[in-house]
Amino acid sequence: MDVFNSFYGLIPVTIAQSLIVSFVVLGVMLPFRILNFPDLTSEGAFPLGGCVCGTLIAAGVNPFLACFVALVCGFAAGCTTAFIHLRFKINTLLAGILVMTMLYSINLRIMGRTNIPLFTYDTVFTIVAGASANFPWVKILIVGLLIAIVVAAMLYFFMSEKGTSMRAVGASPDMAEAQGINVGTATIIGVGAASALSATGGSIMVQTQGFADVNMGFGILINGLAALIIGEAITGRQTILRQVLAPVVGSLVYYQLISFCLTLGLAPADLKFATGAFVLLMLALPNLRKSGGGVAIREKVRE
Amino acid sequence: MTTDMLSVKGGTKIFYRGTQDERRALDGLTITLKPADFCVVIGSNGAGKSSFLNAVSGKMPLDSGRICIDGQDVTKLNAHRRAQFIARVFQDPMIGTAPTMTIGENMLLAELRGKPRGFSYGLTAARRAKYSKQLAELNLGLEKRLDMAVGLLSGGQRQSLSLVMAVSTQPKLLLLDEHTAALDPRTARLVMDTTVRAVEELQLTTLMVTHNMEHAIKYGNKIVMMDAGKVLVEIGQEEKRGITVSDLIDRFHTKSDAIALQGS
Repeated sequence: MDVFNSFYGLIPVTIAQSLIVSFVVLGVMLPFRILNFPDLTSEGAFPLGGCVCGTLIAAGVNPFLACFVALVCGFAAGCTTAFIHLRFKINTLLAGILVMTMLYSINLRIMGRTNIPLFTYDTVFTIVAGASANFPWVKILIVGLLIAIVVAAMLYFFMSEKGTSMRAVGASPDMAEAQGINVGTATIIGVGAASALSATGGSIMVQTQGFADVNMGFGILINGLAALIIGEAITGRQTILRQVLAPVVGSLVYYQLISFCLTLGLAPADLKFATGAFVLLMLALPNLRKSGGGVAIREKVRE
Repeated sequence: MTTDMLSVKGGTKIFYRGTQDERRALDGLTITLKPADFCVVIGSNGAGKSSFLNAVSGKMPLDSGRICIDGQDVTKLNAHRRAQFIARVFQDPMIGTAPTMTIGENMLLAELRGKPRGFSYGLTAARRAKYSKQLAELNLGLEKRLDMAVGLLSGGQRQSLSLVMAVSTQPKLLLLDEHTAALDPRTARLVMDTTVRAVEELQLTTLMVTHNMEHAIKYGNKIVMMDAGKVLVEIGQEEKRGITVSDLIDRFHTKSDAIALQGS
């Protein structure tokens, strides 16, 4: 029963972590599902947000302002990826890899070293909750409230006139253009917003873990994708509400699963392989089942 | 004299210019349509019919020439900017609608065509009621399925929906790009009937590309035959009366032979 006790004890910490990563999962979902633009920028935008926020906090800048600057930097990174794809007709995945790779150097330049400790500085959490900032439940409350606001805002946006138009760009670019929608602008703003979400996740992460590190984003994209797929398996994708809830639900479930596997004795070294194998299996599943039920809606990924 | 609804003057588009693969998609194309004209465009594959529609819609920018819609020069406007004047129904029912979005959302996108889009809520109750009414005229039961994904509809239903989306906003110009070619004969007739009813009722200026010679004779008040990116023969309302498919084919061959002889 020792295993279950240690797993049980980790639940609050894991929830706090999964809520923070929810930002990244939302940032993975938006281009992938809404815009049909498979995007890898998150992998670079997440540490970018962390590095920018960490550097600013260490320089004495107000933590809220630091988070906002991180968000703007993430937005710029996403816009760059979308622009590279649209302007130079470079495959979306390759455009994302290019930006992500270049961001690594930029992150190092921003910080000036590989790691900045933030334990002694004020963060958003210490400002809001004072001395009790380090309790997991306080973090859960603050981040949970933030993510609730973000999800509600996204839900409203995607049902508004502008948001419906953005979804049309992903659903059928030719149709969107024929309806007078500027496909290029919608794509740039959408992918930018997604990376802004990932960067925000990074900026919150550094404040809870107490340090910023250039390598902090390693593998975050595959984790995000795994969480998204689990979330969609639970909530479904039929309505925009389900699509927007899936990242949060998926993140909450996925990180508990990981925590459970680790307490059962899965070596941390094998974690990335296990996650990758899981994502592969989930993506391959529709093709393994030869005679899938229901009517398949054709999905076309942009070249 | 009324202004022309559509006028294309010397529209030219050359692909691979200066190489041995040079291909003239449009070669000094000139055509005018009066308000409420229903012009049917025919021609063999590669004659430039699709290029013509793409040039008008803005999807394919011209190398030279001028395009005016209702007196306004739109030559330099992008496709999404021209959408305020133009509605288009594509040949492929998958392209003209957003398959993963609902019928209601597709209708909303069409209603907002060419208009500023705001942050206000999209599918309001008032709009839903309006769309139900518009869709009810099709007699396909779509009005009861506003929240159904368009991808679940049959090709004919989707094409009918595309048509309602296109005409509901009273566009200055309606482009029909072989919009019944991918449908079975019965559904094609149904969609064609709906098209004619809407075009006549709303007095829409229409440009329809088709491979179907009978459609060309039966519908519209003007036939334009294209070849090698040019207008080869233009047949007006008077002349069109009593014409047969073989007449059309004869005229096409006589004219293209004459041009071939001149060229040699």
